[in-house]
Amino acid sequence: MENPRSVEELGPGDHACLTFTDPDERLDIVAAFVRSGLDQGHKVLCFTDSVPADRLPDELELRSVEALDAIRRGQLAVRGSDRAWFADGRPSARRMVDLLAGQLDLAAREGYPVLRMTADMCWAVRPVPAIDQLRAFESQVGALFADGRLAAICQYDRDSFDAVTLAFAAAAHTRAVAAAVYHEDPILRICRQHSPPGVRAAGELDFTRAEPLIQALAESLRLDHHITVNLVQLRYIDAACVSLIIHTARSLRDDRRLTVICQGLVREMFALVDTDEIPTLRVQTVHGRA
Amino acid sequence: MVGPEMHARRVGPAAGRGGASLDQPFGPDDLYALRAAVAAHAAHLGAPPDRVAHVVIVAGELASNVVRHGGGRGRLRLSWVDGAVRCEVSDEGPGIPDPDGAGKRPPSVLALGGRGLFIVRRLAASLTIRNTGRGTTVTALVTVPDPRS
Repeated sequence: MENPRSVEELGPGDHACLTFTDPDERLDIVAAFVRSGLDQGHKVLCFTDSVPADRLPDELELRSVEALDAIRRGQLAVRGSDRAWFADGRPSARRMVDLLAGQLDLAAREGYPVLRMTADMCWAVRPVPAIDQLRAFESQVGALFADGRLAAICQYDRDSFDAVTLAFAAAAHTRAVAAAVYHEDPILRICRQHSPPGVRAAGELDFTRAEPLIQALAESLRLDHHITVNLVQLRYIDAACVSLIIHTARSLRDDRRLTVICQGLVREMFALVDTDEIPTLRVQTVHGRA
Repeated sequence: MVGPEMHARRVGPAAGRGGASLDQPFGPDDLYALRAAVAAHAAHLGAPPDRVAHVVIVAGELASNVVRHGGGRGRLRLSWVDGAVRCEVSDEGPGIPDPDGAGKRPPSVLALGGRGLFIVRRLAASLTIRNTGRGTTVTALVTVPDPRS
């Protein structure tokens, strides 16, 4: 399989594997995949497991996906694994492939040219004999992609699956999808956020790691009209890095916005620096959401 | 990275109040460990979480200044003084120009630098900058509310 792609590059005919360790990064990529499908007039089907089916629409809304409207008009459907894989108590690859084939036909009859499917595969690590059915599904489902009407992301939590199953999953998919990571060490992680688009940083950020922040902000400046800088999981930021973000916001034309989302000490740092004079900068506080 | 326990030297009573709680040299690679040590010791001195954050911000900015402009290496002492956490950072660098005025005015929104001392002055009840000829010592007091009041 080729090098991981960005989620924006995925399209009809792609059967992609997303392996992740950060749940927020997983939801970000899923949100971008769903939003892109809704924007392009695709039907979108989400199978969810670690996030309950009744909560996933809210998680998507938090990430700038108009999920509730899409569900109301029938363009988006969210289902728990229990209703799909465990419909009669035992997982069956054949039944799941048939279910997907049926959904593909239904989407076509409803007038959607493409069905996008995303599935959290962690149901397979429940204490039931499921891994063999997972492997069978990933092998058999490939045929459904042949005519370019199906696009899928299968999500694998690296902390839940063993290395052998992860290696099999990587080989069974035609694509890998991953977030662009600008910097990663035990203290700080800076990666691209897809939905809403921008930058996400977690850990502690000071001037010694300003370079990857500059790189991430510069890329977002090029790619995105409005920029979201998600610092919810950042525990510390110094004045030098606050200044870099302010400087980026100031460089925007009046019709663009840079929105910082933060909490705790990071929120306090932005409050201590007078940002009211910068009309292109918004600072939003969240409480306890990662 | 060097953990705080490798450099930190306790010189006061275990509870902290009444003596220096933390006396720690630092360099460019030690800022993360230094902040972790400051947070732990400020909490140990009795600062509530919001004031621990203030002490960490103050210590972090003063230490960053030393690494960037003050010769690269310095020493941080944290202690309890009359209802406040006292944070003293010293270096052997070239000194801070206009020690009485530094950080008193809000930096221009156009400025990329200069916000560190401004933020420290906003959080600290008092800030003293002393150029000694052999370097600079900056002392900030962050008041801590008395839990009994």
